[in-house]
Amino acid sequence: MTDTPVQQAAQVEERLTHLPSPTAWPILLAFGATLGAAGLVTNVGVTILGFILVVCGSIGWFRQVLPHEHLETVPMRAPLERITTTRRRVEHIEVSEQHRAYLPIETYPVMSGIKGGIAGGIAMILPALLYGLIAQRSIWYPVNLLGGAGVAHWRNPSTADIAAFHWEGLIVATVIHATTCLLVGLLYGAMLPMLPRRPVLLGGIIAPLLWTGLLHSSMSIINPALDERISWGWFLLSQVMFGIVAGLVVAREERIRTVQSLPFLARLGIEAPGYMSNHEEER
Amino acid sequence: MADQVLTIPDSLSVSPPQIADETFLERLHGWVVTVDHKKLGILYVLYSVFFLFVAGAEALCIRIQLLRAHNHFLSAAVFNRFFTMHGTTMVFLVGMPILFGFANYLIPLMIGARDMAFPRLNAFSFWLTAFGGLLLYFSFIGGFGLYGVGSAPDVGWFAYAPLTARAFSPGHSTDYWALALIVSGFGTLGTAINIIATVLSMRCRGMTLWRMPLFAWLMFVVSGLTLITITPLTAAQIMLLIDRYLGGHFFDTQAGGSAVVWMHFFWIFGHPEVYVLVMPAFAIANEIIPVFSRKAIFGYPAMVAASAAIAFVSLGVWAHHMFTVGMTSVSNAFFTLSTMLVGVPTGIKIFNWVATMWGGRIRFATPMLFCIGFLFQFLLAGLTGIMLSVSPLDWQLHNSYFVIAHFHYVLVGAIVFNIFAAIYYWYPKATGRMLSERLGKWHFWLFLIGFHITFDTMHFLGFMGMPRSIYTFEPDRGWDRLNMIVSIGGFIQGVAVLIFAVNLVWSYYRGQPAGDDPWDAWTLEWATASPPPEYNFATEPVVRSRRPLWDLKHPEDPDWRYEQ
Repeated sequence: MTDTPVQQAAQVEERLTHLPSPTAWPILLAFGATLGAAGLVTNVGVTILGFILVVCGSIGWFRQVLPHEHLETVPMRAPLERITTTRRRVEHIEVSEQHRAYLPIETYPVMSGIKGGIAGGIAMILPALLYGLIAQRSIWYPVNLLGGAGVAHWRNPSTADIAAFHWEGLIVATVIHATTCLLVGLLYGAMLPMLPRRPVLLGGIIAPLLWTGLLHSSMSIINPALDERISWGWFLLSQVMFGIVAGLVVAREERIRTVQSLPFLARLGIEAPGYMSNHEEER
Repeated sequence: MADQVLTIPDSLSVSPPQIADETFLERLHGWVVTVDHKKLGILYVLYSVFFLFVAGAEALCIRIQLLRAHNHFLSAAVFNRFFTMHGTTMVFLVGMPILFGFANYLIPLMIGARDMAFPRLNAFSFWLTAFGGLLLYFSFIGGFGLYGVGSAPDVGWFAYAPLTARAFSPGHSTDYWALALIVSGFGTLGTAINIIATVLSMRCRGMTLWRMPLFAWLMFVVSGLTLITITPLTAAQIMLLIDRYLGGHFFDTQAGGSAVVWMHFFWIFGHPEVYVLVMPAFAIANEIIPVFSRKAIFGYPAMVAASAAIAFVSLGVWAHHMFTVGMTSVSNAFFTLSTMLVGVPTGIKIFNWVATMWGGRIRFATPMLFCIGFLFQFLLAGLTGIMLSVSPLDWQLHNSYFVIAHFHYVLVGAIVFNIFAAIYYWYPKATGRMLSERLGKWHFWLFLIGFHITFDTMHFLGFMGMPRSIYTFEPDRGWDRLNMIVSIGGFIQGVAVLIFAVNLVWSYYRGQPAGDDPWDAWTLEWATASPPPEYNFATEPVVRSRRPLWDLKHPEDPDWRYEQ
């Protein structure tokens, strides 16, 4: 490391500067305004006094800044300043290429996640409807369980209510199902390259198992009424169906390289001659 | 390694201020008429610390009352006044002023300016805030009103209608609450305008917005948020006064008004207010964590974007305080989702702070200890916030001690912890003396232990059904032991704060001289003397990166080489 020579501040330069002069008008104005308010709950005389102070404070303040701002002259002693550190040595954190391998150098295109989400979403409908037919003799039962929030007038619905058809329930269930499937599909697209081995197994079976376990343990707190009506075996089956189908659809797509390693300008799509090489040189 | 001194010709040159022989009255006069941003910043902080002790004393009285079942330390009426004044004081007279005080003191120094954009408005804003607080506390002796009842406000810090109607709140206590907050609210608006103008127009040469310290960025965002959120509160308070005295019926349900309208007005202010308070705490962490990790902040642009996103999303979450009033399912779903959405930018921030610490050479000095406590506690506060954002769960826990525990985790665990961190960090700059590290560590550990004893336990009281704001409870509810534990934790915190007070005073007279840059930091305030002269910088600084002092200390490896 190269030592920099120690130099003492030798020169002292005497200069003047101008700063806003201290003034009592702002505090007077603030006090007047407060008295004006306090008078409303004490005595009208207090408000009148406050009003007088506000007028005086305002006039005084205006005279402070008009026609010319009042300034005070302040002497500055300006020795050459010393900016010091006891930590001259700089270490750079070493990141090996091996380390970078854990980042998604390649990923699936966004569309693959959307396709996977749509396919998985359709696939998981089947076990859900099957459950409705077998257990409740109605395909609308699982639909209304999901979309029940949209049926605003429901108060403690009976099983027959839930098994009946409701437009509001269908619309809300469709919106929730479609949105969730698309988002989870996108998550699959982003995460599958990062799962080290057997991504479809991890994403299709283990993740739904964990997710179902989490919901199973917390649903009794979040929504006890819903908890009583969910059949967790069927729920798990539909989650697994989604995971496997979405994972297979995403995994069949061709991977593309990520742009993480490119400079910010390149990621913005700006084309400027030479900046790529300049950037590399600076690094 | 030998300490080395770099001379940077014609750069940030300052000298220690000359202390003239002044009488006490002359010095007092100097403080009263000052328009200097540093003195006003210190006044804000001292004012807030004073009210911190007041509100803390009120909290301890509340905890003594709840120490055991059927206690009679406070009467029911006084208990109501104390929890109202405790909440109002902590939010309006401690949280906001102290954070604006730090902004006042630090922003001009950080951006290389001589003062705030409007120095006289700055003084006016402080005094309005100060007198507003005094007016609020004057209610203890002036609030008897026409009927000889009242005294201090007793309607809770959110002052729900119809409790605030004259039929239920006779006398002037509620009027004092409204008027005092209107007065101090105008002071807050003045400061917010000043900060925005200062940040936009007073930056030194080379300090583009993308090179500005994150502290200044966040205070800029907070000030914008303040301008939006204080106005509905002020409007609602004026409407309340019209209801009470001019025959209005805004919040009078029986005459065609709506009590729920008050709730909307209040929480449109009240929830963004949480972010107005917590984002300056983020700002403090943004400065302290990198310096004590010896690394540049991780993800600067993401931190700025996350702050703006938090401010934006926070404007659309207010009704999660109102799940139990009977909103439609669509409203419940919207406010549940929007509340969860806040967790995304907030999570980005937490990841970035952790990433900043990752691989760094962390120094566990007192400011950093408080910031680490903040990180841990704010994460937990965020998680319980997500729990409460789920409307069915909120229906179970609304107005219970679980909610009290959640927001104290935010207000104390995050904000107060970082306020302490900031005081330990910048006290040497403001006074020229170091705070005692030994006392600081006592303060930290006791406060941390007391905090967790108090507020962790409160979560369980909430689960067990203890409602907030109750004056006493029956012995057969099973709450006795936990309440005793909560109160003990409160007293441990009280002892910690006393140690802090001793440290403040002792170190002012006996503390080690700090020097200009005791933490080996990187932002411009450390380039000037401690305490800084009234002109801040003799020569306007010129910066080339986000860490100008790093560039000066390490000319062989400056940041501007890497920043895009």
